[in-house]
Amino acid sequence: MRKAASLLTIWLAGVILAVVYLIPPAEGLGYFVRIAFFHIPVAWVSVLAFLVSAAAAGLHLRTREYKYDCMSACSAQLGVCFCLLATISGAVFAKLTWGAYWNWDPRQTTVFVLLLIYGAYLALRSAIEDEERRAAISAVYALLSFLTVPFLVFIIPRMYFSLHPEPVLNSAGKVAMEPVMLYVLLAAVGGVTALYCLLLSQSVAKAGERPEKELSI
Amino acid sequence: MARVPLLSSNAVWAVFTKEAVCESRTKYAVGALVMFALTALSSVSLAIAGVSLAPELAAALLWIVLFFCAMAGLARVFVQEQEAGTLLGLRLYATGQAVFWGKLLFNLVLLLGLTGIVAPLFTVFFGIEIWYWLPFVIVLLLGCVGMAAVATLTAAMVMYAQGKHAIFTVLTFPVLLPQFLSAINLTAKILSEDMPELSELMFMAGYDAAVVAAGILLFDYLWQE
Repeated sequence: MRKAASLLTIWLAGVILAVVYLIPPAEGLGYFVRIAFFHIPVAWVSVLAFLVSAAAAGLHLRTREYKYDCMSACSAQLGVCFCLLATISGAVFAKLTWGAYWNWDPRQTTVFVLLLIYGAYLALRSAIEDEERRAAISAVYALLSFLTVPFLVFIIPRMYFSLHPEPVLNSAGKVAMEPVMLYVLLAAVGGVTALYCLLLSQSVAKAGERPEKELSI
Repeated sequence: MARVPLLSSNAVWAVFTKEAVCESRTKYAVGALVMFALTALSSVSLAIAGVSLAPELAAALLWIVLFFCAMAGLARVFVQEQEAGTLLGLRLYATGQAVFWGKLLFNLVLLLGLTGIVAPLFTVFFGIEIWYWLPFVIVLLLGCVGMAAVATLTAAMVMYAQGKHAIFTVLTFPVLLPQFLSAINLTAKILSEDMPELSELMFMAGYDAAVVAAGILLFDYLWQE
């Protein structure tokens, strides 16, 4: 675990150096483009954490195993942190490029709803005392909120006009980026995803120690 | 006397009638909901004193009033069982599916009744003329079905939680948001004398169907002990 953590630190430090020294100023964005190398990976992980949380919730309902509930909760806790970082970095980026921190752009709306769902899920968990009940009920909520995401993705772009650039992996399947930028971006996404995995496994291991102690009492 | 748990439509009907009888005895939900709606509508109407609202604002106001009315009364179907200690009895007599459908129907009837009061009052208070009645009623109906379905599920979730009513709204809003946004959008369209497209109505119906299907699949996990 410790070895992985130090490797990851070196990797992320390398990515930061690459962003500072290798990335040319982008057309229309200048050096602000550096924020994207923080914003995109963090936004990706906040969606990934939601997927993991919902998948673990589904597994918990099937197997009734404590570890999946634990994984779902830890993933949501990490997800809310990453989601906050994505929201804030996105707002700063928007201020620098579009002139306002917040204008309910479709992406901003989606990320805000994601934040609301994470918040509601964690509030629900903290409001129920009984452990088994908490696990089952919050798992059902995670799945129910997961169900509504496709509807949101469909409805929101129809209601609001977007200034947000196309995602890197867009529907046309073309990558509109210089190779250097793309490689650094992929390295950043990989690094942040690995950071999420590391933090998740650590917090699951930490939370997993508890119930056995409680049982032995 | 040993009794087999009730099954199928009989059971659903039994749960629904039980809710209706309980409600007719206390009139708690109906009273709270109607007065809440009246207060919300009249306070805005008084405050703006006859200024006409843009269609978008009026549509948003209508759905916000309906949403918060629903939040004030719809959690009761499960919270009341928990507080009165009648949950175990219901668990013995009825299956999870029967309880879900019965409570969903009751919430839907309550919400439709409420909408039947709020929508006409809304047109009177804000001097709004509605040109396309049928689409308006369909949008209200589809919106109410979605709201009742989500609220029934989240009500079953907050049953054991602390601070039930506060958390009920927090849980319901993000899940209901797609329906809420499209209902406001379509109502604004109708109020500005425009016909909603069929695909938009189908979207709302699709959301309702998805939530009810999710309820059928997931409710047993909430109901099992």
